[in-house]
Amino acid sequence: MAKRNLRLIKRRQKKARERANRLVLGRTFVVMLLLGVAAFIPLVSTLYQLMIVEHDQYEEWAIRNQTRSTTLTASRGVIYDRNMNILASSATVETIFIDPNALQRRMEEETEKREAGKEYNPAVSVDFIAKGLAGLLDVEEDFVKEQAGQTEYYYRVIKRKVPEETAQEVREFINDNELTGIINLELDSRRYYPYGSMAAQVLGFVNTDNVGGEGLEAYYDATLTGNAGAVITTKGNRGTEMLYTYEKYYDASDGNSLVLTLDMTVQHYLEKNLEEATEKYDVLNGAFGIVMDVDTGEVLGMATLGSYDPNNHQEIYDEELREELERQYQLAISMDEDSQAYTDAMAAYNAAMATARLRQWRNRCVSDGYEPGSTFKPITLSIGLETGAVTENDTYECTGSYKFEGRDQIVNCWKAAGHGSQTTMEALGNSCNIAFSNMGLKIGAKTFYEYVKDFGFMEKTGIDLPGEAFGYFFTYEQFTEVGNNANLISSSWGQTFKITPIQLVRGIAAVVNGGYVLEPYIVREVLDSEGNVVTRNETTVLRQVISEETSATMCEMLEYVVAGGTAGGAQVPGYRIGGKTGTSEKTDVRDDEGNLIEVEDKMVSFVGVAPMEDPKYVVLVVLDTPSEATGLYISGGIMAAPTVGAVMGDILPYLGVEPNYTDEELELVTVSVPDVIDMTEAEAAAALQEKGFTYRTVGSGTTVMDQVPAGGAKIPGKSEVVLYFGETAPEETVEVPDFSGMTLVYAKQYAESQGLYMLVTGTNQDRADVTATYQDIEAGTEVAKGTTITVEFTDHSAQD
Amino acid sequence: MNNAIQYPGLPEERLPDPPQTQPEKKRKEKILYDERGLIDLPFLLLTVLLVLIGVIMMFSASYASAYADEGSSTAYFARQGLFALVGIGIMLFVSRLNYQMWRALSFPIMAGAIFLLMLVPIFGTKENGARRWIYLGFTSFQPSEVAKLAVVLTFATLMSSYKDKMKTFRYGVLPFAAILGAIALLLALEPHLSAIIIIFSVGGVMMFLGGTELKWFGLAIGVAALFAFIYLKFMGYASDRIVAWRDPWADASNDGYQIVQSLYAIGSGGLMGLGLGKGRQKYLYLPEEHNDYIFAIVCEELGFVGAMVVLLLFVLLILRGYWIAMHARDRFGALMVGGLTTLLALQVFFNIGVVTNFLPATGISLPFFSYGGTALLLQLFEMGLILSVSRQSNNQLLM
Repeated sequence: MAKRNLRLIKRRQKKARERANRLVLGRTFVVMLLLGVAAFIPLVSTLYQLMIVEHDQYEEWAIRNQTRSTTLTASRGVIYDRNMNILASSATVETIFIDPNALQRRMEEETEKREAGKEYNPAVSVDFIAKGLAGLLDVEEDFVKEQAGQTEYYYRVIKRKVPEETAQEVREFINDNELTGIINLELDSRRYYPYGSMAAQVLGFVNTDNVGGEGLEAYYDATLTGNAGAVITTKGNRGTEMLYTYEKYYDASDGNSLVLTLDMTVQHYLEKNLEEATEKYDVLNGAFGIVMDVDTGEVLGMATLGSYDPNNHQEIYDEELREELERQYQLAISMDEDSQAYTDAMAAYNAAMATARLRQWRNRCVSDGYEPGSTFKPITLSIGLETGAVTENDTYECTGSYKFEGRDQIVNCWKAAGHGSQTTMEALGNSCNIAFSNMGLKIGAKTFYEYVKDFGFMEKTGIDLPGEAFGYFFTYEQFTEVGNNANLISSSWGQTFKITPIQLVRGIAAVVNGGYVLEPYIVREVLDSEGNVVTRNETTVLRQVISEETSATMCEMLEYVVAGGTAGGAQVPGYRIGGKTGTSEKTDVRDDEGNLIEVEDKMVSFVGVAPMEDPKYVVLVVLDTPSEATGLYISGGIMAAPTVGAVMGDILPYLGVEPNYTDEELELVTVSVPDVIDMTEAEAAAALQEKGFTYRTVGSGTTVMDQVPAGGAKIPGKSEVVLYFGETAPEETVEVPDFSGMTLVYAKQYAESQGLYMLVTGTNQDRADVTATYQDIEAGTEVAKGTTITVEFTDHSAQD
Repeated sequence: MNNAIQYPGLPEERLPDPPQTQPEKKRKEKILYDERGLIDLPFLLLTVLLVLIGVIMMFSASYASAYADEGSSTAYFARQGLFALVGIGIMLFVSRLNYQMWRALSFPIMAGAIFLLMLVPIFGTKENGARRWIYLGFTSFQPSEVAKLAVVLTFATLMSSYKDKMKTFRYGVLPFAAILGAIALLLALEPHLSAIIIIFSVGGVMMFLGGTELKWFGLAIGVAALFAFIYLKFMGYASDRIVAWRDPWADASNDGYQIVQSLYAIGSGGLMGLGLGKGRQKYLYLPEEHNDYIFAIVCEELGFVGAMVVLLLFVLLILRGYWIAMHARDRFGALMVGGLTTLLALQVFFNIGVVTNFLPATGISLPFFSYGGTALLLQLFEMGLILSVSRQSNNQLLM
């Protein structure tokens, strides 16, 4: 029984064990499928997604994550003038920056070392570094400390564009004090402009990030910049080198260089004469001028006075303006920094500063429209001649004023007494508004409009400079409105619309070059870094607007304006000059609220062409508002024409245009006196005659003992030289007389009577209304006898 | 004509005689075979292969950080290699022991584990705001690793004796829940979330294996979900992990940094990988690259193919582990091997899941691969236990 029970229990136990075993077995199988198979399915699928499907994307991200790209700077191209003088070039400089984060870490390390009694580097401290860098870089110690305190950053610039010598000192400082990794240097470049403010608005400048800011630097920025290259290297996270690295090298290609059509000698003469004129006529609002080749459209000179130095383009160069700004700044900082007044004053100062900068950077030759005034008359006349509406044989009556139909205002001529009866040529020479009003009416509004458009006054010239404006002209509907001739009449003498100086220069070039409207340009060639020509700008003729014949006629007419009209002041001995004067009022000046206000501002201008036998160059000079203080009548003929004359006199010989003096003109140029001492009278006479001088003798002897003026002195041609025989010239001095107000012949005789030579400049005409206005040696100065005084004569009748 | 007859049949070309020196051979293969039987060769080979690959990959992964932290690129490799050798020795030694002894030893081990866990909050080394390690002077170890082993041993011991009673709440749930609860409480003090997850998972799976009624699992999952919700809601750092998990790029420089760097490594591996030793993410980009995130370096250097090989080896090892469990001589052996295999499988699953951002980040290391000498020793010890069970198997399913 017990045995049976035991067996029963055993069997039951065995059954229970087997049941339990089977349960464990079954459940283990389930778990095996779950954890051994099922669990791995999402893992494999995720890995497949990441490593196969999205591989490319992750690879790209990873590479970006692991690589450090080092920029290889491409050096910016050089800007040359047409004679390969360097106008702008870049030099390597360095940026000094610190790594505040590294500094902090190193400081902690050094502190630990010090506390552990080990050797440590005491130079690793904010104070030491600040002091060192402040001394080397001429920055405030506090500034360095402030930068060093920003420990969340790795890159804080201490000073940019540090020259190489200073950078070397910093490098030594780093090495001496074992500060590698804390103070760092980085290559950068700096732009240098060897000619300073010359042609500044044309060249422009580059800003701190080496991006062209204005002018050619901006317009050709992409060309000049080149492509910055890069070395992409793998780097471990803490800058550690990797065992397996890969490197990709993108070549830096240096920027291309520009060769300009600009000629720095021409530019120099243009700027010099503009400056002299500004001084002489007390010009208040600056001046600008252009020299252009009439056949090719190449710009040889382009200047805007009130300039700046691109080497330091942020500084204001107008002294008065700078002082005013400084005063404003001092006022602002004297206020309580938290006050509203301070904020306002500071904002006003900053705004004024920005305005002043923009103003000095502005290239008025292309960016600003102005009313051309009478300098536009050649355009009107050439339209008239081309269409046949006007002929050379027309006569125009001028009584000083006339009421035209279709215009409410009476047209007044600048000469109140009137010009009387004039030929077409005389009308241009007189710059007669009434005659030109008639011409405009003869041409008719529609034709006039079409031609003005063809002359290119309603479009940008396409010159390769940034910020070109295209002025303002009437709409066709406005202009051709039936019964309203007001716009046509005022336009015929260049008022009530605006064009840019470059548009006018191009228009006048078309008038004299056979009628071809060109696209002016300033960059002749683009060179790659090896000096190979990449692109060459060629003359672009857009269209012919007038015929060669009309153009030839216009040349005669323009020459007459200088020879017998309002532009006598532009005469240059030895050269045939043509041109047209202009005096325009600013009629659209607005006050701060934008209301039209009446101002006395006048733009006086002259557009000159030379040489007239085969026109080659056009020169425009515009003086913005000469002051009344000089006492001269404010007009283009009196002020701008002599300026252009002076520019022409300087540039034409330089540009290889041979002077051809008439007998009369010989008196207007200086000639070197030959040294005839120790010669016999016959020999001396021959030597002097060869140069065109006459002579008289004093004393007696066989050879010349002395001469006045001495050999080598420059005196007007055909002058008389005094030869002393047997005696030396007395050491006599004379007081320079005040020639102002004298007429030409009178002044000349007066000078002679004083034993002085007089060189005539300006209007070489002996008329009651042509008087001396300027002399190069001040009245009252004691000078030796035989000295040459240059006296400028002004035609006061040239009131336009 | 029959070719066979013409065959010269020289003596040395004859088929060898059937082996007659079997006892001698047994002595030669003492390690693999003892009086109880043959060790499970596939499991042994898979383990050794994984340790080998693991140590090599650990060397490659730790190359940069070992240099940065220890000044020698081979510093970690040398240590890990040494531990691996010692570990394999321990494994082989343990495989020769009669595993029945662990029934009796399971309770002292559990007691020791709990004692150590209680020491951790006091003597533990603080790292990243948690105390998980005990430093022994020459090395340090995590008592939580011991606790995992203790849970498996204790559970197997208890379950194998409860038999039918496992169906009841008193035997089938209560003792296990109490043990798990106590350990979880101690781990929460460190705190050590990942260890809690692993221990709960292993404990749960073992209860399932042991025969606990299924309804209790439903209840447990409900409670776990509730706790998980509360935990995520109130524990900031875990919530950040969830955010970083769902969109690592949202804060790729901070919370998402590690996972983003890991994904870079995995994704850039492609089909064939960059080549052994040629990985780039290990250069101090990917934190824990030789530790929890070593699998990312495996993917980067060995590619999808290499990763699949490693995964396949793990799968085979796990399947073989359960196969051994199913062929164990007794229920204790089956449960112990089942538990240990589960422990291994869960660690692999969680680790790779985290590294690939399939799961939110928790610090679970990859067996045989991750750097850590004591952990490796313990893992190989556990493999030894499994092998010791395989030795006594009679190649019949547990019935």
